[in-house]
Amino acid sequence: MIVVDRLTKTYGSKKAVDDLSFTVSPGRVTGFLGPNGSGKSTTMRCMLGLDAADAGSVTFNGKKYSDLEQPLTHVGSLLDAGDAHKGRSARNHLRWIAMTHGFPESRADEVLHQVGMTDVAKTKVGKFSLGMRQRLGLAVALLGNPEVVILDEPANGLDPEGIRWTRDVMRSLADAGRSVLVSSHQLVELSLVADDLVVIGQGRLISAGPISQFMTQHAKSWVRVVSPQFDALASLVIAQGGTVERTNGGGDFHAVTAIQVGEIAAAHNIVLHELSPQTGSLEEAFLDATDSAVEFRGESAEISSDGGK
Amino acid sequence: MLGTFRSELFKMTTTRATKILLGLAIFLPVAIYILTLIFAFDGGVMDSPAIVNIASSAPLVALLLGVVGVMCATQEYSQGTIRITLVATPNRFRVYVAKLLTTLFISVVSTVVLFVFSLLATQLVLDSRGVQFELIGNDIRVVASFFLITVIVSIFGFSLGLIFKSGPGAISSVLLWPTIAEGMIFGLLSVATQKNVFRWAPIQNGFQLVSEFQMDDSNSWSIALLLFVGFVAVFAIAGALLFMKRDA
Repeated sequence: MIVVDRLTKTYGSKKAVDDLSFTVSPGRVTGFLGPNGSGKSTTMRCMLGLDAADAGSVTFNGKKYSDLEQPLTHVGSLLDAGDAHKGRSARNHLRWIAMTHGFPESRADEVLHQVGMTDVAKTKVGKFSLGMRQRLGLAVALLGNPEVVILDEPANGLDPEGIRWTRDVMRSLADAGRSVLVSSHQLVELSLVADDLVVIGQGRLISAGPISQFMTQHAKSWVRVVSPQFDALASLVIAQGGTVERTNGGGDFHAVTAIQVGEIAAAHNIVLHELSPQTGSLEEAFLDATDSAVEFRGESAEISSDGGK
Repeated sequence: MLGTFRSELFKMTTTRATKILLGLAIFLPVAIYILTLIFAFDGGVMDSPAIVNIASSAPLVALLLGVVGVMCATQEYSQGTIRITLVATPNRFRVYVAKLLTTLFISVVSTVVLFVFSLLATQLVLDSRGVQFELIGNDIRVVASFFLITVIVSIFGFSLGLIFKSGPGAISSVLLWPTIAEGMIFGLLSVATQKNVFRWAPIQNGFQLVSEFQMDDSNSWSIALLLFVGFVAVFAIAGALLFMKRDA
């Protein structure tokens, strides 16, 4: 289990992480979300002792990272897939890390096999695609067969097969009782694998808990209705306090539940072709939750065709 | 500790840049020495033991090994592997010591190899001509000085590397300070003060350690060594402190 307790880190006058507390439980995949510059990577670096926190603490099963004997056997991490010498082979990259813990050389080959890189074990890292480097980074994280795994954007640059493989790896690690903390901007992917979510913005905690709880709090819900008597139904729903948004072939009712809409329709003998409760995506929920904490925001997605003249 | 040292040594010996630089540090001075043997002692007799002549290449070897020292420190920052190193070994003092030992090990082994090749070349070239020469004289001080210079300049490079965290800046400093900056600063001070301030130039004092003969206005061997070591120690302490405290 990872316990982050009142972690604070300041760079100059900017508070990158501000009194942040959360836990990552064994047997669960915890998604770590936040807009760019929200402090996710800083938090991860502080967790691993790479950056010194100004206040607060991080413990792994009760111990600070710097107090762990053979730390790679407790915590495996992937912070940046680019953290490898371009002129060194994949195998040699793992070998020097294995040497720090006295792991046998065969362990490097084992994890290379695990991440599907046996055929390129002797290939230099500089020749790898981003996806291959991500796999190598995952191999580093798995080298010590750790109880806790921390991954920063592990699916970045991977092809669909690789993304699914990463998801399966995280799931299997959690199913084996390990704690998995993963930061990602690929929210659709994260929604498929995460059990819990920690959402931060401008270094502060916005939400922490099961993903279902986050969705309940932040995702929009509405009722989709298709009916040949839609206008009549809409009038009745509006009278009950609901709002209506017309779409092709029907419409969406907001501020009412599917049960309420169904009962209104039944009471007035209105025929329904579709009545389905809808929930917004994790992406929409995330954008809603972090709206006030976005530091870098584009003005408009529209690109002028006149070259800005 | 042994594992960390093995890991650091493995890292340094599995990169092409280090191999090329070490090759240069060893074989460039050897090549220059062989040319000297061929042309300077053509038919003549060496006026000092061969090993003393070999030791005269100390400044060149030291500067090249100083660059190797820089690489021991900065390579990991430029490639990003410093994060993995410090995650694998959170005890920074242990990492510092392992890196320092690696630098020293490479420096000493390179110097030994350089000596062996140079001595072999001496024997081959001069023996074939029937030229009289003394392989090793009594001047152990010169040999010791050679090793001291290469080791201390490599620590100088290593320390500058930790301070700069960037190869180009540290390499420029390790090469320019002894060859240009020190001469300019102490030369100007000498002109300004009308005194031989140049005799206090720390790295030049180090390079003078291998001289067989002492000039009248130069420092004694022990004072020269003290100046040299003291100067490098300041950078070594600064580099160590920064490495321990700085965010990775």
